[in-house]
Amino acid sequence: MTVTPEPVGRPGPTRRRALTGALAAGAAVLGAGALSGCGSALAADDRTVRLWDLFSGADGGLLNDMVRRAGPDMPGTRIERTVLEWGTPYYTKLAMASAGGRGPDVAVSHMSRLAGYAPTGLLDPWDLDLLAEYGVRPGDFADAVWSRTRFEGATYAVPLDTHPFIVFYHPEPAARAGLLTGDGVLDTEAFGSPDSFLAAGRELAKASGRQGIAFGYVTDTAQCWRLFYGLYRQTGGTFRLPEGGPAEVDADRMTEVIAFMTKLVDGRVNPRRLDYAAAIAAFANRQTAMILSGEWELGTFRAADPKVGAAPFPTVFGTPAVYADSHAFVLPRRPHPDAGHRRRTHRAVAALLKAGQIWATAGHIPAYRPVTATAAYAKLRPQADYARAQSSVVLDPAVWFAGAGSDFQNAMCQVLQQALLGDLAPDRAARAMVRRLDTFLSKPSPA
Amino acid sequence: MTSTTDLPARPAPARPRIRELSAPRRRPPTGRTHLSLGESRLARVLALGVLGVLAVVWLLPMSWALLTAFKSEQDASDPVHWLWPRHGLTLDGFRTVWERGDLPLWMFNSLLVSAAVTVITVLVSAMAGYAFSRTRFPGGRWLFTLTVAAVLVPPQMLIVPWFRQMLSLGLLDTYAAVILPQTVAPVMVFILKKHFDSLPRELEEAARIDGAGHARIFWSVLLPLSRPMLAAVAIFVFIGAWNNFLWPFVSTSDPALMTLPVGITSVKDAYGIQYAQSMASAVLAALPLVVVFLFFQRHIVKSVATTGLGGQ
Amino acid sequence: MSSPLAPATPGSRSVRRLLSPGLLFALPFLVLFAVFMLWPLGQGLWMSLTDTSLSAHTPDFIGLDNFSEAVRDAEMWRALGHTVWFTALSTVPLVAVALGMALLVHTGLPGQWVWRLAFFAPYLLPVGVVGLLWIWLYQPDLGLYNHLLDGVGLGRVAWLSDPSVAMSAIVLTTLWWTVGFNFLLYLAALQSVPDHLYEAAAIDGAGAWRRLWSITLPQLGRITTVVTVLQILASLKVFDQVYLLTKGGPDNSTRPVVEYVYDVGFTGYRLGYASAISYVFFALVVLASAAQYAALRRREK
Repeated sequence: MTVTPEPVGRPGPTRRRALTGALAAGAAVLGAGALSGCGSALAADDRTVRLWDLFSGADGGLLNDMVRRAGPDMPGTRIERTVLEWGTPYYTKLAMASAGGRGPDVAVSHMSRLAGYAPTGLLDPWDLDLLAEYGVRPGDFADAVWSRTRFEGATYAVPLDTHPFIVFYHPEPAARAGLLTGDGVLDTEAFGSPDSFLAAGRELAKASGRQGIAFGYVTDTAQCWRLFYGLYRQTGGTFRLPEGGPAEVDADRMTEVIAFMTKLVDGRVNPRRLDYAAAIAAFANRQTAMILSGEWELGTFRAADPKVGAAPFPTVFGTPAVYADSHAFVLPRRPHPDAGHRRRTHRAVAALLKAGQIWATAGHIPAYRPVTATAAYAKLRPQADYARAQSSVVLDPAVWFAGAGSDFQNAMCQVLQQALLGDLAPDRAARAMVRRLDTFLSKPSPA
Repeated sequence: MTSTTDLPARPAPARPRIRELSAPRRRPPTGRTHLSLGESRLARVLALGVLGVLAVVWLLPMSWALLTAFKSEQDASDPVHWLWPRHGLTLDGFRTVWERGDLPLWMFNSLLVSAAVTVITVLVSAMAGYAFSRTRFPGGRWLFTLTVAAVLVPPQMLIVPWFRQMLSLGLLDTYAAVILPQTVAPVMVFILKKHFDSLPRELEEAARIDGAGHARIFWSVLLPLSRPMLAAVAIFVFIGAWNNFLWPFVSTSDPALMTLPVGITSVKDAYGIQYAQSMASAVLAALPLVVVFLFFQRHIVKSVATTGLGGQ
Repeated sequence: MSSPLAPATPGSRSVRRLLSPGLLFALPFLVLFAVFMLWPLGQGLWMSLTDTSLSAHTPDFIGLDNFSEAVRDAEMWRALGHTVWFTALSTVPLVAVALGMALLVHTGLPGQWVWRLAFFAPYLLPVGVVGLLWIWLYQPDLGLYNHLLDGVGLGRVAWLSDPSVAMSAIVLTTLWWTVGFNFLLYLAALQSVPDHLYEAAAIDGAGAWRRLWSITLPQLGRITTVVTVLQILASLKVFDQVYLLTKGGPDNSTRPVVEYVYDVGFTGYRLGYASAISYVFFALVVLASAAQYAALRRREK
């Protein structure tokens, strides 16, 4: 015993007694209510569709605008957003909430993560008939995107957008370098092989007076992989990841791609050790004439150069392929879904898709094609210039451990970064990637 | 958790007596013999200087948070005029986070969860402590040994089975799931058992002669006598539950059920990181316990010092 | 709560024995204890022998596969290493600074409540607040600490994104947050040092330093042991502030083993494997406790 007991029988100070009493009484009442299980927020107003998403910043503001625009299209329904922290924490929470069966009514997920969710029973499929009733049909989406929404005959995702990895450029130096076509857009033919790509980089460097092409990757957990996987798929090399392993990949072509990437950040024509933010700054400040980047940086770049141009990632290795991902709506699992509420949710998502023109201003390509087919969309520059990328997009391999914000992308980037920094020869980097792939494949799938 | 809310009891030799730990010290320093700095004025000035610097270093983070919370968003992210805001002080940050509505909700959740955990833990542990101290029943000693051994079990290792358990009970994302696992506190049973052991048995004899049963003795004789100890335990448990992060974080994903520490760190603002608002919510979240501390400093300090040693 | 307290109704001897008042009093605790501690401990052990997943998949018994995987899992060893490293880095300052603060405050200098407030108040902050606060303090371009470093002409520090600094930054945050707890324990111990020791020393003409070295510090030996033991056990359980400040990064260079359990179990869906790692973590805690117990016993002798 640490404490020397207070003198027996001394009445405690009244303040303390009052505190203890009040606390006990209050807590007993609250506690009784809580433990009787009334704690679920599912009981919330059934006209509200609860949406989880990971958009903050400019995207977050635009989604708010979309929710407002969608309002008249879904009378009697209210969308309530919850914004959670982007990346791994988001997907962890989504999985845990779905497992518990008390998740939100609908959530945004990257399509590349679907393979880790749909076959594991954490999501419920969408009802295509219901969606069709509200004007959303499979034919309204690009095949390359729609094909990724399906598992075992059911549709688990309704795509909101495609966000490809593209090239941005400043038009003046690009024109001076002779890399624009007659109608003022990038001549992607001039980037049609590894050698011509590098030559174009040299021309851009000359034209900008500084350096050519920026690419930010140091300590980044996705950039190297985005560039690598898009280019690798252009080679036509196989990339099959059967459960249990080993990975069926073409190590020679991987080496070829890595060698090209290494030359791209040579430090002379193009800057060498850029992290993500430094690359953005280098391009925005016109230290470079071009940048390899996700389209989601459009807002930043346009603020620096209102005339900034953009084009789908050029086909360097023969087969058209543009690395991309897609934000999609998913239905977290509910053991006993309420049919009326599910209908409301379908309707709300259809209404949001139709407000996609707002979403396009951020740079994302709306997945719902009736939006991109409008004259208003065709006038959006430079968005309309890269919208055709949608037909040749490649997403992460459809395995449970891959996708946006995954450990897998991070692991691949760690190897690629070493190669790009010159610490690892391209062929050894390719072999190291294969080894890491095999480690991931050896882990049991949760499905 | 490093917040030392789950402290193991171990047979340790130290037996410091907690005596007027925080009673206002109005005696003149020279009248104290034990650790006085002697007659040297220099020593006093030096010691005061060191203390002052330490206190400034320790108060700096909270002062900076407070200042940021009263800035406009624009001033908060001004890299040049970083100290004093150019557009004056404003309550906008506080207004925005409060009006968003989830902060008051999380405060309510935290209060409810902590209060329920405290009441259940104190009551249940006191009863068990009484049973182990004052009664004999089959298996009693064995169960007490088991309880003491369980002090070693870190709650962190139970998050996975607790999650699984709540999943199969269908209780994930309910208050019950957040509260119940936190109410098992073997160390509190141990502390209260030792405490009851230390109360002289003569006190109950009179009541027993009058025909009082265990219920009467526990409720009307021992509990009133143990008020200071119960308060100490209650405060300690309350602080622990109020600040607990890992289990509430794992057991809730519905923002409407999150406690304060989980909510303010998991749910983001749609408009991106806003430092003034972030600090405004931090200040608001810190406020309840700090205010309580200002009023009940003596009790809280004593509670931590007695209970914190885990009944050594 | 009145029903279990009601006197047992007369009945057969065995029923009376079973429903003895002692058992009835202990029952609420025992039920909670069994359901939320013993059962989960057992279930965790069982799950560690299966491939239980967060998904709908039905678990299979896989024997000791999870444990043999854990032994070969470099990431797990790395995470264990970070936990031990954090414990080593944090324990010494958390004990030493607390002692220094307590000694200074105990000299009876004016402003007692200010000191106590300054040093102890951070301990009362929910860790969520601590996380928000220190992310802001450590913010590379706008944070207070880099402004101050700039001000005195030292370069800026990438507090949370430089793998060689991040762990120290977490230790600093932890020191600020929890030192007040140890400080109070020391303050309590200081007040229980018997006055007569000092009186005797004063009669012998011992100066302030002399009294500190020959009376105060030796008298604090035992409490120092206790505080250190408690601190080590608390530090081994670190998760909250690491998760909130760095998510275990950069490149997992600060990820403690408790976060690895969380990552494997909930991010990776592998509840079975996470249970196995939980037991490895438990073994570490038990080992640390046993080592400390043995050390204490040796010192006692």
